[in-house]
Amino acid sequence: MTPRNRFWSVFPASSREATDAVVANLLLHWFPARMRVTSLAWTPSLWLGTISWVLFVLLLLTGLPLMVFYVPSTRDAYQSVKDIEHVVSYGWWLRAAHRVAAHLMVIVVTLHAGRVFLTGSYRNDADREQHREWNWVIGVALLAATVLLSFTGYLLPWDQLAYWAVTVSMNIVGSAPVLGAPLRELLLGGRDVGQAALMRFYLLHIVVLPIAVAALFGYHMWRIRKDGGLARAGTAGQAALVVDAIPAVIARAAVVTLGTWLAVTVLAMAIPSPLEQPANPLVTPNPAKAPWYFVWLQEIVADTTVRLGPVSINGALVGGLLLPAVLLAVTTLWPWLDRSPTSTVGVWLPAARRRQLVVFAAIVALVVGLTVVGLLRGPSWQFHWPWQAWPELPARW
Amino acid sequence: MADGPITRRVLLARLGAAAGVAGVGAQAAIVVRSFVPNVSYDPPSTVKVGLPESFADGLTFLAERRVFIARDGRSFRALSAACTHLGCTVRAEAVERPDASDPSGRRQAQVYEFSCPCHGSRYAADGSNLSGPAPRPLPAYRLTLSPDDGQLVADLGDEVARSAVLTLP
Repeated sequence: MTPRNRFWSVFPASSREATDAVVANLLLHWFPARMRVTSLAWTPSLWLGTISWVLFVLLLLTGLPLMVFYVPSTRDAYQSVKDIEHVVSYGWWLRAAHRVAAHLMVIVVTLHAGRVFLTGSYRNDADREQHREWNWVIGVALLAATVLLSFTGYLLPWDQLAYWAVTVSMNIVGSAPVLGAPLRELLLGGRDVGQAALMRFYLLHIVVLPIAVAALFGYHMWRIRKDGGLARAGTAGQAALVVDAIPAVIARAAVVTLGTWLAVTVLAMAIPSPLEQPANPLVTPNPAKAPWYFVWLQEIVADTTVRLGPVSINGALVGGLLLPAVLLAVTTLWPWLDRSPTSTVGVWLPAARRRQLVVFAAIVALVVGLTVVGLLRGPSWQFHWPWQAWPELPARW
Repeated sequence: MADGPITRRVLLARLGAAAGVAGVGAQAAIVVRSFVPNVSYDPPSTVKVGLPESFADGLTFLAERRVFIARDGRSFRALSAACTHLGCTVRAEAVERPDASDPSGRRQAQVYEFSCPCHGSRYAADGSNLSGPAPRPLPAYRLTLSPDDGQLVADLGDEVARSAVLTLP
């Protein structure tokens, strides 16, 4: 038995044999047996979905050793994160890699959703039985789960950032009429932000949300296969250049995986992870900023308190719940609202979808603009240009 | 679903399925119910804050309960320090404002106001909301005098009008 035979038993002599081997093998079955050459190219998808999955796996791999050292208690959480940062061998790198991968995952999943929108890939080919619109809905759920994963992780160090982020976000939840207050109490496990809240967010972060992402991702990938791979305008009757997926797709996926891994490795060495002062319910940091992906929402929450005579509606309800809910609902339902011709499916920025693209660009510009304004806020939420020094705070009583 | 009379086999199958759904549903409800706390470990809402004479004139911040005690001679008020927008802790600041007692409006007087570090809401000394996203004034709480040891007692679960003060004889 040669060393090669010890680990591998199938050596296909023909394309047919290779296909049979793929179909018969659980791991290889992950990929289709044969793929169009165009689907392997960089431009249709930018491979953003694969990058998202690689980041998720890296988050699992770095999260496991962090769980060995992290203690989910309001008394010990801060010290345990400090130990990971300064005492545990290479703990700083594990934490930085976990943090960098988490931020990258929010960015990449968002870009992936943007790519699918810009190429109209949530739409079905005219000549095939497909349900790509459902995969778009799963994708929106995956984007929401990714943001929630990042946010619940943000809380675990139990420093000032964490404590006030939980306080503000839970008060946004509590601002909903009727169901808000009981839901807030359910999430916090009480009226105050404390041990019960930390444990609940910890379990959401390490168990509930990862399982949800893994399950949704499995279904997401299966649906792509069932719908015939990457979306493209109707190609019935056209000859397409098809190759054996293995090794072609393995080689391309390996490049993407290793590239992502390398980026996380290098960025984790370059970007230190912050740790603020320990959580202090008595002192709110000034300014108190949301994580960067929520800064645009924080800006809206701060600007949308509505006063109608004696009645005031809290900006938390308007900007924190209603506007995001409307945006999420419209995004989810967009495949059913988009009436553009199917010839634009899989095409970047087609002229036939000009109006949609302009609205999309306007929303993106608004979100980016609000984020920039929010990032430039200083003490007491006052706006300061980057070249303006923040003022000294007035005397306190 | 077959038309016509329901056979015993179909009925039993449906009853079985319904029992399964009901069982799984009830167990899911039990799990969700278990998340709602039956015992609160939150601190009690009625709290003794100290003897009246231990407070200086002006504002005292009781950090552990996030409440301000305002003293003006023999009068006392308790004001929440939690911003009504999103619950951040407001700070008391000394600021210059036109003196209301000066008809020319040129004289400045030093008063205190509350400002929220999260989104910039401002409140007057009596707790009324002046600017920013805060939808309501800071709540005022009932203050009483403890009959056993004469300490001020703040009831953080009992909101009162902002004009309400506890005046000691």
